[in-house]
Formats: sequence, structure tokens, C-alpha cells
Amino acid sequence: MSRLWAAALAALALALGVLPFAANDYLVATGLSLLMWLALTQSWCVLSKMTGYVSLGHVVFYGMGAYLVVVTWQRWPLALAVPAAGIVAALFAALVGLPVLRVRGPYFVILTFGLAELVRYALVAYEAASGTASRILFGAPDLVVIYFAMYALAVGATVLLALVARSRFGHGLRSLRENEEAAETVGVPVVGYKLAAFVLSAAIPGMVGGVMALRSTYFVVDQVFDPMISVTVIAMALLGGGDGPRGPVLGTLFLFTLSQLLWAHAPLAYMLILGTVLVVFVLVAPNGIVGLFETARERRRLGALAREPV
Amino acid sequence: MSVVATLLSGQLLFAALVTGAIYALVALGLNLVYGTLRMLNVAHGDVVMLGAYAAYWTFSGLGVSPLVAAPAIAMLGALAGWLLYRGVIRRLLGSGATASTRLEGNSLLLFFGLSIIVQNAVALAFTPNNRGYSHLDQVHQLAGVAMTGNRIAALAIAGATCVGAALFLSRSLAGLSMRAVIERREAAYIVGIDVDRVQAASFAIGFASAALAGVLLSMLEQFSPFSGFPYTIAAFIVIILGGLGNVAAGLGAALLLGVLETYGVALTSANLRSVLLYGVFVGALLLFPRGLFARRAVRA
Amino acid sequence: MKPFAIRRALVLGALVAAAHTGVFAQADKPIRIGFSMARTGMLAVATPAQVNTYELWRDEVNAAGGLNVGGTKRKVEFVTYDDQSKPEQAVRIYEKLITDDKVDLLIAPWGTPFQIAIAPVLEKYKFPMVGNTAASVALRQVKPGYIWFPTSAIPDRIGTELTAMLKAANVKSAAIVSNVLPFSKEIKNYLEPELKKAGIAVKVSAEYPPDVKDMTATLTQVKQANVDAVLALAYPGDAVLYAKQAKELGIAAPFQFIAIGPSAAFFAKAVGPASAEGVVTIAHWSPRAEWKGSQAFHDAYVKKFGEAPDYLDSSLPWMSLEILQSAVARAGLDKEKIRDIISKETFQTINGPVRFEGVQNVITPTAFVQMQKGKLEIVWPKSIATATYAPKKGW
Repeated sequence: MSRLWAAALAALALALGVLPFAANDYLVATGLSLLMWLALTQSWCVLSKMTGYVSLGHVVFYGMGAYLVVVTWQRWPLALAVPAAGIVAALFAALVGLPVLRVRGPYFVILTFGLAELVRYALVAYEAASGTASRILFGAPDLVVIYFAMYALAVGATVLLALVARSRFGHGLRSLRENEEAAETVGVPVVGYKLAAFVLSAAIPGMVGGVMALRSTYFVVDQVFDPMISVTVIAMALLGGGDGPRGPVLGTLFLFTLSQLLWAHAPLAYMLILGTVLVVFVLVAPNGIVGLFETARERRRLGALAREPV
Repeated sequence: MSVVATLLSGQLLFAALVTGAIYALVALGLNLVYGTLRMLNVAHGDVVMLGAYAAYWTFSGLGVSPLVAAPAIAMLGALAGWLLYRGVIRRLLGSGATASTRLEGNSLLLFFGLSIIVQNAVALAFTPNNRGYSHLDQVHQLAGVAMTGNRIAALAIAGATCVGAALFLSRSLAGLSMRAVIERREAAYIVGIDVDRVQAASFAIGFASAALAGVLLSMLEQFSPFSGFPYTIAAFIVIILGGLGNVAAGLGAALLLGVLETYGVALTSANLRSVLLYGVFVGALLLFPRGLFARRAVRA
Repeated sequence: MKPFAIRRALVLGALVAAAHTGVFAQADKPIRIGFSMARTGMLAVATPAQVNTYELWRDEVNAAGGLNVGGTKRKVEFVTYDDQSKPEQAVRIYEKLITDDKVDLLIAPWGTPFQIAIAPVLEKYKFPMVGNTAASVALRQVKPGYIWFPTSAIPDRIGTELTAMLKAANVKSAAIVSNVLPFSKEIKNYLEPELKKAGIAVKVSAEYPPDVKDMTATLTQVKQANVDAVLALAYPGDAVLYAKQAKELGIAAPFQFIAIGPSAAFFAKAVGPASAEGVVTIAHWSPRAEWKGSQAFHDAYVKKFGEAPDYLDSSLPWMSLEILQSAVARAGLDKEKIRDIISKETFQTINGPVRFEGVQNVITPTAFVQMQKGKLEIVWPKSIATATYAPKKGW
């Protein structure tokens, strides 16, 4: 890991760490959102970036975690409910992982989407059948407490992705991304690795969902399984590009900051501008932000070579 | 209603056919675009929405029946698709990101961006309000089955278009070359098929059929700038279930969904409608990882 | 001193004093009112009725010289952001409006989840706000003090009143078809037991998810049950689908109720005037001679937007603005005084008198309207009815 990158990351972590003590509630809430997206995007990359199995159903873990925390509200202490949310999400991934990961490519993409919707509507039907219309959560912890819980999750997700990316496990994942059959032939335990990546990618979003559920007092199952969350996560990761923790962090920062600035200063037209930026970006920087850095670096290197005396 | 009576119900059959035909028409264009270009057009439902708005404005503003305006709106859709291909898609294909993983991701982002632009431009221009109109709403009775005029029209037009598309792909030279690009791309180059033209045509036909579906839907239900997304989802479910690139199978899958929505609900409970649909989808895919009719689907 | 000189001195003195107290400066400074609204996302279709009303109010107030703030008139300026149909975003926005933008007053976002979600924020910063388009029994759990809800369309009262109306119309059997979204589901939860208590046979009780595309299966069941009343607890998204398919199947029950949808102008256009005729829906407002300003509001809305206001989601925001206006005229921007006034006084609005006990409006009755000859008339309760209920004669 380059020193510049490590320093930048440390500075970001520090800035976010002291934010609640230095800024007003609005900025703290903004920081909370950023941390949430970092946690979600990084955990998504553990599966989808590393193995190439692009999941469009990442929100299913988020929603399950939120649901668990809400139904145990005021019956379980939060210190138990939130980790339980992560465990339940991971268990779900372990349960469905084997058959789900047999499906490949775009079929996998839409399958994960369908899976998220299935869980969503199953819970909606269950809530309706049990007579519940909505749930109220009064007395949630203060913003600062929620903020630091999310901080821990974002740091955890970053560390997780970094560790996976440099480990032998990560190498195995990359190899199966390049060519699954060949990887299997040389002895990579493909099925086990895929499943492990899937399960690892599920725990953190589950806890993220559980924590975010505390931010809004009125809970309806339908809303925590919003497919836009899955789509946004993919957008952030793809915009970042690259192959390790760098890409998702850059992509998330870029998209988040851009959309926040636009949202605050052009409340009516911001989505239009955002969409245009996205389109232009894809055409101009097809390898993501990391790709831009790499191209710049290549050009500098080649330029230096060209100027060397023969 | 008893199980037998349910299965024999003409009313349910009519409803299943109408629903299935519309799903099939919406999915048709998506299948062609994916088949020829391997791009997931997540803005597909927004083209449907635009077609609905076009029909609404021609009807409310000019008093022209949507059935009369349909060919013109479809043509506009074709033009839009063709222009998008020539202007933007070709650029994406030509850029450095031709490695298949980047292309898939980039096309996802691109269409997502386009979707945001279209939805919000329409919301700003026309307000996000629900729109709807009433046309051909007389109910006709045939053999004990009640059928609203606009639903009959939707079934007839959607059905004819889908059958026509299937015939086009299997009988006409142009259609066969499109199938060639879908099923064996490299070989298509070798036998001299102008792949670029086929891709442009798939975009044009894809957008045209989506716009047409929008026109038909505008007669049946209300819509708003953001109501395209559910149709994008439905279209994806259909083409994945049938097997990507396999248009005929897509029609079958669409019909299956229509059957689930009507007979499935009648035999279980309205509460389970979405659980049933997504449950069957997930289950079918887990059993048949390349779609129900995998033999002729494209490789992932 | 000569009288003219005395007068000149007095005027000069007054001007100097005014300059010191900044009265002139304040009269120029606009008053900033903040709110969030879903302009994108799943709920964006529902919010125009409310935003339009807010804008109509602002334009009318400014045309009359500005909002009366404790005696001084100041022009109204809105500070608004998109909450993307997410209640957590609304929470963030109200935190921003209060701590970052530092607005002078707050008005409500659209919808129950959003207004309940921001209640704790309002309490934390002791910032009063009048709610409007929120309707759920959960509202009663909100701690009173900084938010009030003028609506009377609370699901448990809808259950009792609708049952009473059905009994008065001699209904003996009913079918309930309900969306599982919160408002519809809540109504169903309270309605079914009330119907059973009143001896009305519930022959069909079906629920459907919000993304339903075809209701033939359920409606065939309803048709076969041959009931006197069909109660479609639908949201605007499925109200039109329901009406069109009910027409196709020829559901002939004389009492046809659709919970939400028909109070908005688009419904009659989407299903056709013949189908819309006779449909009963939830609304507690209609232009009535006894309610000052109700006809004027209706006409001003039509003039500005080219269609009738939503009898539920446009009248409530206007009422909440009238209440705020009244409080601010007397209390200026003193938040505790505003809060005091709103909690205790009775207000005259376009929906008649409104008074709050805790968070709830205790005067406005739970009411229903029926489409008669293209107009929505209040048909229940008799105390505020503008027309009598008439059975629906087919679609």
C-alpha cells in the first residue's frame, strides 16, 4: 500500500472521527451517510469486485438487519440486536449461497435482485398477515452514538476488504474471477471460496441496516429493501474502479460529495445534473477513478522514458 | 371458487393473456439489446414511460386515439434508439473499456445515468403527478367473459407484435442475421454480417417495442415519470427466466408470469402475489441457471 | 416652534428611532420558511398536491404584501430540499434547516412516515411545526408539544364512521380488498372488527401487495360474493387499476368505496366520469358556504394549476398554513409563544374550526365524500354534509 494512500486514508479516518465534536447536527448526519455508503460499498466489493459475481441484491442484507433490530426493539438491548442483525444476514447468505452461486454472469445479477425482492415481499406479506401496519421506534439513541457505531462498521468494512484483497483467499477469488474452470483445475477451492466471500460480504450490511433503522422513528418493511440502495452501491464501486479498497473509497467519496453538493445547491435540478455527470463520466473515464490515476501515471512514466537519453 | 372452476375460468385466461402479452412486449426490446450487445439497459422501462406520456398527450391534447398514434410513437421510439446507439453507445464500445467485465459495468452505469436524466426531465417538464385517461372502456361480453375494449386492443397489438418479432427473427434475412449476432457473434463477423447495423437495428426495434408497450399501458393504468422502473424489473425477470437472447423463450416466460399473476393468485391468495412471482423466478433460476430454455440462450 | 417644524422634528425623530430598531431593515428581509418534500423516488407522485398548495399560499401572501409577523409584513421565501422519499433524509433535512440554514419557520413534509420521523428533531430543538398530511393511530404516540396533526382521517375513526355510514345505508354484506401498505392496512385492522360488531357480513377479505398488476383473480371472488358494499382500501397507485377492473368484471354493488385516490383530480380523468360517479372516498373537506375561504381556495387552485385541488392532500396543507399564519401574526417568531397559541386556541380554517388537544384535532369530524355529477360532495356525517349519499349505479 503506497504511503500517500495510507496517509490520505488516515487523514480521512481522523477527520470523520472528530466530526461529531466539531460540527453541527446536519454535518454529522452527512458524515453518517458517507460512512454508511463506505461500509455498504466496501462490503459489496468483498464479493462482487473480487469474484466478478456482480450482486444487485446487496440491500437484502441491509433490510434483514433493519427488520431484526426493529422487531426486537425494546425487547433486546441494542448491543445484542445489532450484532445479531449481522449474524442473521450472514446465516442467510450461508444458507442460500451454495445454490445461488451456481448461477453466473447476468443471470446472477438478476437472480440476486429477485432474491432481495422475494425476501422483501415475503416480509411484507408476513407483517400484513400478522396484522402489523407499521412500527414506531421512539427513544432511539442519539445521533452521535449512531454515528460512531457506523464509523466502526465503515472501518471494519475497509479493513475487511483490505485484508481479503491481499490474502491468499483474495488471490483465489481473483483467479476464479478470471477463469473459474481454470482456477478449479489448479486446485482453488472455488465453491468454498465463493461462499465464504458471499457470507463475509453479508455481515456488515446487516449491521448497517440495523443501525440506520434507528434514525427514522417510523418503520415500514417496504422501505428498507429499496433497490436503489443496491444500485447506488454498484455505481459507487464502479465509478471508483480498480481492484482493492482504493477504488470503492474514491468512488464513494466522489459520488457522495458530488450528489450532496448538487442536492444542497440545486434542489430541483440536481438529479438531472447527477445523471448527466454519470453518463459523461462513463464515457470519459471507463476504468473508473483509479483508472484515471493509473493512466496518468502511465503517461508520466512513458513521458519520462521518452525523455531519457539513449 | 373451486380449483377446477378456477382453471377453467375464461375470465382468468383472458387476464393472463393480456398481462402476459404486455410483459412479453416490454421484454422483447430488452432481450434484443442484451442479445446483440450484452448490455443491460436499465432505462428500458423509462422508454415505456415515455411512450405512455406520448400517447397521453396525443389523446388529451390532440384528441387522437392512441391506437392511431401508436405507429408514429413507435417510429419515434425507433429513432430515439437509433440515435442513442449512434451517438453514445458506439462511443462506449469504442473506448478502451472493451474488456467484457468493464463493459457490463459501464453499460449499467451509463443506462442508469440515462434513466435518471429521463425520469427527472419528465418530472420537471410535466410534474410528477399521476396521469391517466379513459379510452375504449366499453365492456364487451363473449362466452361469459367480460373484456374491456382497451384490454382486447392491448392483447391483440402486443400479441401480434411479439409473434411478428418471433417470425422476423426466424424467417427474414435481417432477422436471421440479428439472431446470428445474438447467438454466435464472432461467426457473424466472419460470414460478413454488418454487426454495427444489426446492433443499431436492435436498439431501434427495442425502443420502438418499448414505446409501443407504453402506449398500450397508458390505456390500462395510470403512470408517472417514475413508473418505468417496475417495468424494467418485469422485463429483466422475463428475459432471464426465458434465457437471455432467446426471444421466443422470452414470450413463454412472459406468459408464465401472466399465468402466475392470475391463476397463481386465484389458487393461493392475493397477499402472496409478489412472493409467488419472485419465488418462482428464484426457484426456476436455481434449478435452471441459464434460464428455463437454456439450450438456445447466450452463454453468460 | 412652528407646528410644521414640530411635525418635521417628530417624523425625523421617528425615522431615527426606526433605523435604530431595524424596523425598516426587517421589513425588507424576507421570512424564510423551510420544508422537505419528496421530489424523486417512490412517493414523488403524491407530493405535488401539497407543494402546489404551499406555493399557492406563498404567492397569495406575498401578493398581499407579505406574511404578517407580529405586526410587520414580510415576504415569504421557501427553503426546500428533496428528501428522495426517505424518512431518514427528511430527518437530515430538518436538522439542516434548523442548524445550518437557520430558517425562521418550518412547515411539514408530505406523509405519515416523514412527519413522525421529524417529530423528535422538532422536540430536540424546540421548534414548533404544524403537521398536515399524516394519518395513523401511531400519531397519538408522538409526544405533544412541538407538532400537531389537524387531520381527522385516522384509521380507527375511519373504521367506526364508515361502519356507521354503511349501517345508515342499509348495507348487510361487504367485501374488503386492501393494499398492505400502512394506511390501508391500518384501516382494515380497525374496520373489520367494527363491521362484525355491527352485524355486517364480511364475505371477502383480501389483501394485495403494492406492486400488483392485475386484480382479476381477487375481483372475480368479490363479484361472486354479491355484496352490498365493496370497500377497496387502495392507494392512488392501484385505485385506477381497481376501478377499471371492477368495471370490466361488472361489480354491481351499490356502495363502492375507494380509500385514497378519488380525492385527486387525476382519478376522474383516468377512469372516466361515468366510472368515477358515485365512488365514495375519504376526505373531510369540500367547499362549503359555512367554511370561510373554502370556495376561494378551490377557485384559486384551479386558476393556478388548471385542475381541482386534492380534497385531502391539498386542503390539509392549507389548513396547517392558516393555523401557522394566525399564530405568527400574534406571536411573531417567538417559538414558545407560537407553540402556546397553537396548543390552546381554536382556529377558523377553510375546513371550519380546528382545535388541538395534545397532538390531535378534536373538532373536525371523520368524513367521507362522494363524487356526484363530477363534484366531490361531503355525504357523511350529516352535520357537515353538502349532499346526501346516493348508491352507485354501475361503472
